[in-house]
Amino acid sequence: MEKQSYQYIENPLQVTRREFITIGGMVVAFLAIPTVWITLVTSSSSRYLQARTKGLYQDDTKAAVRVSHANKSVARYYKEFGGTPLGHISEELLHTKYINRTKVLS
Amino acid sequence: MYSEKTILKHPWSVRIFHYLLILSFLPLAMTGIILYFKPLSESAVNLAMQVHVVCGVILTIDAIAYLLIGFNRVILFIKRIFTMSVTDIKWFMILGGYPQKLLLKKKVTVPPMGKYNSGQKLFGICVFTGGSVLIFTGWILWAFPHLVPGETVYLLGLLHTISAWILTLFLPVHLFLGIYMFDDFKAMILHGKIPYEEAKETAPLWVEKEIIPISRNQC
Repeated sequence: MEKQSYQYIENPLQVTRREFITIGGMVVAFLAIPTVWITLVTSSSSRYLQARTKGLYQDDTKAAVRVSHANKSVARYYKEFGGTPLGHISEELLHTKYINRTKVLS
Repeated sequence: MYSEKTILKHPWSVRIFHYLLILSFLPLAMTGIILYFKPLSESAVNLAMQVHVVCGVILTIDAIAYLLIGFNRVILFIKRIFTMSVTDIKWFMILGGYPQKLLLKKKVTVPPMGKYNSGQKLFGICVFTGGSVLIFTGWILWAFPHLVPGETVYLLGLLHTISAWILTLFLPVHLFLGIYMFDDFKAMILHGKIPYEEAKETAPLWVEKEIIPISRNQC
């Protein structure tokens, strides 16, 4: 609480009702526009993710071979060339490294 | 000689908002400059980023809290800063008489001003719009960049940088003039009160039209 050692204050009724509603409405709109924009962007991104997930599940359902260890080509690779999974040759040939491409994108 | 009559110019809510603004914006400006020029080691720049984020969160909470607690004052502030007239052009033509006073030790007639003079109004517009843009873009860039297209993130980053530079360059001017008007400085930093005579001289329209004695308000 303010200790009342002052004699004057601002008139609390300086803003008329019309001004309060007009400016208050503008402030709310000012806050609402970015909120609506974020919601739209987020929901569109979310829709894209959901569609992509659904597509991947559909591909899996349709696929004759669903896991790598049941894939005959992969099994043949290990039997005739690669040795064992996570072995030296496979590590060298199949594993990838992380490359930061964010600067290229921006 | 001034009388002892005083006006409550900055109530506690405004002062607390301003304290938190100082505590958050000064580190934000400093770390922002470090992040822009990257003059330090990678770990120091990372630390600057962490400080930047924490202070950004404090600034956001401060702004939202004040918007909710002092909504009527926010509306009044917006009304004041966006109300312009021919008087403001006249004020800008002589820059409020400050250069003449500071450089030539000469006092010129300044058009009568309200609570904020024209320069403060311009600064207020920059703080209000620039601050809102900084908070909004800062949150998107930090917390939600994956939800927004890459090009938009780039544009928001540009907007963030431009707004930040405008406010950071305004800061030394604001600090200098704030301390130069020492009664107002004490009012904002310490007790909230400004001498009546001082206010009558610097903001005659405010005193004439908007200031009332406490007893009249209590009636």
